[in-house]
Amino acid sequence: MNKVPPDQDPADDVDAQYRRASALDPSRPGEAVRRAVLAHAAQLAAERASAVAGRLKSRRTAHPTWWRPAIFGTLAAAGLAALVIAPQLLTPRAPPVAGSAAIAPAADNLASAPATPPPAVSAEITARPPAPVHSANLPSYSARARSKTNEPTAAPAVEATPLAQTAGARAADTGAAVAGVSAARQRMAGNPTAATSVSAAPRADTNPAAAFRHAAEVGDLAALATLVETQADIDARDSAGRTALMIATLHGEADAVAALLAYGADPNAADANGTTPLQAATAGDHPAIAAALRRHGAR
Amino acid sequence: MTDAGESDEALLGRYARGNAAAFEVLYRRHEMRIWRYLERNVGNRATADELMQEVWFAVARDAVRYEPTARFTTWLFTIARNRMIDSNRISRRQVSLEAIGYEAESVLAQLTTEPSVGPLAAAVVRDQASALARALCQLPLEQRDAFLLQIEGDLSIEEVATITRSSFETTKSRLRYARLKLRELLSEYA
Repeated sequence: MNKVPPDQDPADDVDAQYRRASALDPSRPGEAVRRAVLAHAAQLAAERASAVAGRLKSRRTAHPTWWRPAIFGTLAAAGLAALVIAPQLLTPRAPPVAGSAAIAPAADNLASAPATPPPAVSAEITARPPAPVHSANLPSYSARARSKTNEPTAAPAVEATPLAQTAGARAADTGAAVAGVSAARQRMAGNPTAATSVSAAPRADTNPAAAFRHAAEVGDLAALATLVETQADIDARDSAGRTALMIATLHGEADAVAALLAYGADPNAADANGTTPLQAATAGDHPAIAAALRRHGAR
Repeated sequence: MTDAGESDEALLGRYARGNAAAFEVLYRRHEMRIWRYLERNVGNRATADELMQEVWFAVARDAVRYEPTARFTTWLFTIARNRMIDSNRISRRQVSLEAIGYEAESVLAQLTTEPSVGPLAAAVVRDQASALARALCQLPLEQRDAFLLQIEGDLSIEEVATITRSSFETTKSRLRYARLKLRELLSEYA
């Protein structure tokens, strides 16, 4: 009855006895064996280490690394150039004034009667033959500048010759810039009149495309809704090749962007520099606009 | 990490990358376990020494091919067992009770001549070691192999079954009968 049943795990004491006896067992492998094993292992380790070093050396020889500094230098130069150039490309600029014989008098007339309602302007424009591209891009700031600075002679001077037209455009552009800065300063100083004149300016614009872009620029959704009816080409471009959508994007007018996209504006219409609205939104840190553009298929 | 705390697998990996010191740590950690497994299976010190050298040469050579899918000890004892079978020493040298007893006695004779060991202690050592050697020799080959694998390699039943290419149940049965037999034999010498 002292026997361990077969199912029972027999005796941890056997293992314990074995270990006790093993501990007392003085037999050991020969010292020569140990020396031979360790010497052999050390030799193999040295061979492996030298083989690894040889592989690394041959890899370096096969693939010289002289090109690395050249690549890094080129990349650094390209990055620097991009930092210098990109702000100039992406910053919204006042487009040059385009001299237009047909529009300038109208603008001058409007300057004397700034309260002309938009429908009247629309009717006047639609009755007019299509204007050349540069005159179609008459910026609202220029018209506003002329109206504020009361320089009606600038536009007639444009009519004379192409050369004079260019000179006139430059003069008008300078005047517009001055007026724009002046208006901005007044706005910053809290002058409500200046602010009012800026918001009223689009309505005074006789060019529907320019008015449309201005409405996009300032996020005037009501004006956009009105002008989209009369604006034949929603993707008409200014002299820099910017559409109303691009201008709204550059100015961070998310609502205007959404409205323009809803009206069917081309989300991929790039400007003259090849910058797309999505790129402009990304560069300008307008994630909501970028997301809206992507939803409408912008790349 | 210190060498003492570094796993066997990590040490072998370091050796495979050319670190000889890692191999020495590994060797000293498992030296006696492999030695006892070999020596108690073949029953001859010279043969065990020879096999010991072959096993560790194989470990050094194949370290770069080792993939840690199994424990290092499983791999090590598999090599040891295969070396033992390849050399056909087990089948040629049927371990005889006399041979083991003779070796044990000769070792113990050396031990008892040492001044640090008193006569009574020497007698105890002689009795226990001799009893163990005799008991192991009386085990069937498969049972002894399975038992030594498990106790020296600290392996699970599954690992012993894998190394001996036997089923789990067969291995479990061999281990149980080996322990029963050892218990019975050792009690006689107690």
